Amino acid sequence: MELEALQEINPEVEKLGARILVLTPELERYTRALHQRLNLAFDILTDLHQKTAEQFGLVFELPDYLRELYQSFGSTLDRFNDEPQYRLPMPARYVIDQQGIIRAADVNADYTIRTDPSETLSALRNIAVAK
Amino acid sequence: MAKLQDRLNEFKRNFESGGPPYKAPREAIETMHRATAELKASGAEGRAIKVGERAPSFTLFNQDHAEVNSAELLRQGPLVVSFFRGHW
Repeated sequence: MELEALQEINPEVEKLGARILVLTPELERYTRALHQRLNLAFDILTDLHQKTAEQFGLVFELPDYLRELYQSFGSTLDRFNDEPQYRLPMPARYVIDQQGIIRAADVNADYTIRTDPSETLSALRNIAVAK
Repeated sequence: MAKLQDRLNEFKRNFESGGPPYKAPREAIETMHRATAELKASGAEGRAIKVGERAPSFTLFNQDHAEVNSAELLRQGPLVVSFFRGHW
């Protein structure tokens, strides 16, 4: 749903001279399929072994009981991400200005809560105005 | 189109009432709630980088195996970077 929502704001993001990037721990064979299926206008990057998510301070390890639950659903996270640990990034959306400074940061440990993309557009507009 | 959070809420309502296609058992939902609550209580959100800090730069492969460098793209304009846990 995050990806579809970003797709909806992408034309406006581009009008503001900005660009969307999605980072996921999943390997390229999965990102390629997802990119095609959703017909995305922006890139999905494979953050192999979550090195970049680690630098952003987003990675957490799933507790054993949750890992067991996902495995009972048939989920094989280790295969998608090429790592034995069950680790994930917290969902997060950042706006970064051209100086490399973070201008908006939406991080939520609860993956069912997301900031509306309109707020991301506002952050981009503020950068454009400040220029 | 409904707002993102409205769509998420609708998904969550259906999922947590055991609706199709997942038909999640009550126990599973409680386990997931517990994990989310623990993660929240651990203060993990506060350890993520914040507004005003410098974003780490990265060079990663996209879906077509082309290299994408964040510093190069920032020369052209601001970036919206979304961390997505995956399609599973």
